[in-house]
Amino acid sequence: MSLPELDQRDDDELIGTILAAAGRQDLEAMAAAAAEVSEMTRNWATHIPWDEFDSLDETALNEVVADLTQMWEPVDLQVDADEEYALDKNAYDFYRPAGRNLMTRTEEFHGWVEARRRTETWQYSRTLEAAPNSIAQITNDIGRRTRGINFNSQDYLSFNTHPAIREAATKAMRDYGPHSAGSPMVLGNTRISDELEASLGELVRAEQVTLFPTGWAAGFGAMAGLVRQEDHVLIDRLAHSCLQQGARATTRNVVRYEHLNVEAVRRHLVDIRRRDSRNGILVVTDGLFSVDADWPDLVTLQRVCREHDATLLVDVAHDLGSMGPGGTGVLGLQEVLGDIDIVMGAFSKTFCSNGGFVASASPALKQYLKMFGGSHFFSNALSPVQTAVVLEASKIIRSAEGDLLRSRLRTAVTALREELTGHGLTCMGEPSPIVPLLIGNEKLARIANRLLFDRGVLAFMVEFPVTPTGSSRFRLQVQANHEPEEARAAARIIADAIADARTYLSSAFGSTER
Amino acid sequence: MSRYDAIVIGARCAGASTGMLLARQGHRVLVLDRSSFPSDVISTHFLWPHGTSYLNRWGLLDQVLAVTPSHTEVTFVNDGIPLTGSVPDELLRAYFRDWHGDDSGVVRTYASVRRHVLDQMLVEAASKAGAEVRTNFTVRELITEGDQVVGVRGRDSDGQLVEERARIVIGADGRNSFVARTLGLPKFDERPRCTFAYWSYYSGFDLGPAQLHRRGRLACAVAPTNHDQNMVLVWGPSEWSREFRRDVPGNFQRALDFVSPELGEVVRTRGVRAERVYGTLDQSAFLRPLAGPGWVLVGDAESAKDQCTAIGMTHAFRGAELVADALGRWFSGDVSLEAAMASYEGRRRSQNAAAYYDYVCTLAEMRPYRHDELQLFVALRGNQQEIDRFVATHADVAPVSEFFQASNLLLLNDAAKETSAGYPVFEDYPATARMYQQNLFA
Ligand SMILES: Cc1cc2nc3c(=O)[nH]c(=O)nc-3n(C[C@H](O)[C@H](O)[C@H](O)COP(=O)(O)OP(=O)(O)OC[C@H]3O[C@@H](n4cnc5c(N)ncnc54)[C@H](O)[C@@H]3O)c2cc1C
Ligand SMILES: Cc1ncc(COP(=O)(O)O)c(C=O)c1O
Repeated sequence: MSLPELDQRDDDELIGTILAAAGRQDLEAMAAAAAEVSEMTRNWATHIPWDEFDSLDETALNEVVADLTQMWEPVDLQVDADEEYALDKNAYDFYRPAGRNLMTRTEEFHGWVEARRRTETWQYSRTLEAAPNSIAQITNDIGRRTRGINFNSQDYLSFNTHPAIREAATKAMRDYGPHSAGSPMVLGNTRISDELEASLGELVRAEQVTLFPTGWAAGFGAMAGLVRQEDHVLIDRLAHSCLQQGARATTRNVVRYEHLNVEAVRRHLVDIRRRDSRNGILVVTDGLFSVDADWPDLVTLQRVCREHDATLLVDVAHDLGSMGPGGTGVLGLQEVLGDIDIVMGAFSKTFCSNGGFVASASPALKQYLKMFGGSHFFSNALSPVQTAVVLEASKIIRSAEGDLLRSRLRTAVTALREELTGHGLTCMGEPSPIVPLLIGNEKLARIANRLLFDRGVLAFMVEFPVTPTGSSRFRLQVQANHEPEEARAAARIIADAIADARTYLSSAFGSTER
Repeated sequence: MSRYDAIVIGARCAGASTGMLLARQGHRVLVLDRSSFPSDVISTHFLWPHGTSYLNRWGLLDQVLAVTPSHTEVTFVNDGIPLTGSVPDELLRAYFRDWHGDDSGVVRTYASVRRHVLDQMLVEAASKAGAEVRTNFTVRELITEGDQVVGVRGRDSDGQLVEERARIVIGADGRNSFVARTLGLPKFDERPRCTFAYWSYYSGFDLGPAQLHRRGRLACAVAPTNHDQNMVLVWGPSEWSREFRRDVPGNFQRALDFVSPELGEVVRTRGVRAERVYGTLDQSAFLRPLAGPGWVLVGDAESAKDQCTAIGMTHAFRGAELVADALGRWFSGDVSLEAAMASYEGRRRSQNAAAYYDYVCTLAEMRPYRHDELQLFVALRGNQQEIDRFVATHADVAPVSEFFQASNLLLLNDAAKETSAGYPVFEDYPATARMYQQNLFA
């Protein structure tokens, strides 16, 4: 680099000069200015024939002018502002709004929601027009109706239409009425509640069972009941929101470990125990992960926990009843029934009702959680109808009919996964009632979601905060009543919608994860 | 049979590296570039630690660092909120294992190395590895048989027309790729909004590690580089470039003073500029098809992005390892060309790649930081592990999805050690945000 470089005219000025000269067809002036253009720019804009300006014919001159203008002028964008805004932002952009008025500062987020709704890319808050069976009729958030093969509801064994379940609900309604009229610590439980606790205890082989009004309340309540501020929580990075919130609410000593990585748990445990021999450690994971469809090695995880005096809590919301021998879920698959410290679950996926539970082998733990879990003591008990439905569901789950329903469910899952994979798409995780179909980019997912709406398949698109940024997907939830052919047809429709979304956005990104 | 297994067009970050790696595998490689070397090319040449790690893996880092300052820590100052961090070893190792199956050669230092220094070393390394390198050679035509590219025609340094053939032609010929233009390849995922970037080289001060400042829609950076000089860079939204350009040196200083008065002062009072001010706003992002019959693209030719995260050279290195590995498996008969290219494509067009692409393109729009983002920066203060992960995410060492994940963002909040109290930007944020929308150069 010789010093005179400093005294050279800037490339901007030179390119301006070249373009002006081109306007006058003054090739000589163009060539003279080009000779002064920096080596940097000449080596970079290699498509410009910098050394040949004095011999350009008319076509070549026009091309040079077009290329230089493109390099030199900022683009004038014609965009659909609404759609750009809708596709551009993520929910986390609105998590820490500005201003001291708690009410007015929600306006900005609302503006974004409205842009999403206007562009029909808002996947939330759809409503049912009839029972959520394998086919459903729904209305979206802006009042548009559609009907389709339904992977948008969670009813893995199709109990919602099961005559025995409906009969149990009717009978409980007749016997007790719709209302439980109190906290389970007061007088909210019925004899059915006791029966249900016993039945669940047998299913998970941990007989000390406590019921909660929702699955969320069970997860949150279990952690709030057990963990104190000096204790530690080690939680799988992708564990369910009720557990993440439980961790946040109870202690600042929270470590989110790499998804499924038991070795990482071990390292963290060693590290914590080196510093702290006094306080408790709760290790928290899902069984079947609800948007990833995978599960941890519970055998090793429980062993590692015991080695460091840590307690393990496993959320079996999605797998209990729908998978595993006799409906015992991931615990049964890994032969750790009766071996896990604390099992927590939700009824809303397979057991056809609101509600959740926490189970262990310890009567002391049970009483403690009832007193200190918060969401058990200070929330109204499950209604008699809900309790009766879950009890009936738990019986069917453990019966031969349960095996049959699970095998039909598996057949539909296999058909769906095979057909999606055959279309070059990525189904994440393992075969299970949850089939996460990876899309990745939010823009692509939102457009695919819009296109799919009218095409006869109902599917829930999940993005942040349900999934990490850049890893949105369709979470397809399969039911025992889905026919394999239905699942295959749906897969083809979904594949087309994604392909069309890709064309719409002119995107070349594929669907492999990493 | 052709004399070469591969012809590489372009002999810089992507091309020289690919040529070198293939030659080291024992393949017959011809590398062509129209430039003479040493020479510069538009670039602010900052290499993040995975960039320097590639050089180390290839045995070239010592040579680079012998003439180039390097550091580990980098400081970001966003609207007055400083964060100092470095890319953790563990994330770097995970990166190399994930992308290349081994984590040898990892270093944690970054360096800003002039292209006339770096590219010359790369060219020499390619030659030394056994590749035939011809500089001052402009490729003018692709030779095709049917739709198959089988070779190139071009003019060598003596002006002679020369024809060469190979089993594959590798377009490592940059953003304005000759190969892509000749084949009429389309662009995908175009993101026209980008930054204008202007920079030059100054002696007269030494501020130590690199600093990146951001305020409103403008940013500036200073990094020590070769010849005892500093690269000083300002950038902003390309919509403001017309006004900026009316007085490049004046507005350059004005931007520095606005974004970081301290840095502005240093440059104004102590800086001695050694070269003209360089600049460009031609940085819109795009992808091109990666491969076809007889050809494959690597580096900026296959995907160019805005400079705002200083990643293009490192991505060119990564592409070189990926493509050399894929082609090597094809040359040795292990896999078909289609399968080799499919694996290259799978990696380059993965969801993680898409998420980072989106991250860069969104950042390049240079919208003022949102209240939310600024509060996140405050929450990060004092949380070294997460600052480091943020730096690693920004530099594309760690996947975007691992930082920008709900439970992490919520936990960061809970772990916050500082409040926004000490930072004036929060005083009347709406008014500040409105002020930031004004074009400083209008
Ligand atoms: C303003 C700016 C700042 C940047 N800052 C950074 C940064 O700080 N860090 C970073 O990592 N990246 C940065 N980048 C990006 C980086 O410069 C590019 O990603 C990188 O140069 C790409 O390398 P490449 O080898 O693919 O292409 P190039 O470096 O463009 O090399 C292409 C080569 O191909 C040759 N060629 C082209 N056509 C022909 C032909 N027909 N015949 C023969 N040869 C031909 C050219 O002569 C050239 O030498 C920046 C980019 C810009 C625009
Ligand atoms: C893993 C997991 N745990 C807990 C819950 C909460 O259950 P519920 O919806 O019944 O409150 C859910 C469902 O959202 C879940 O997926």
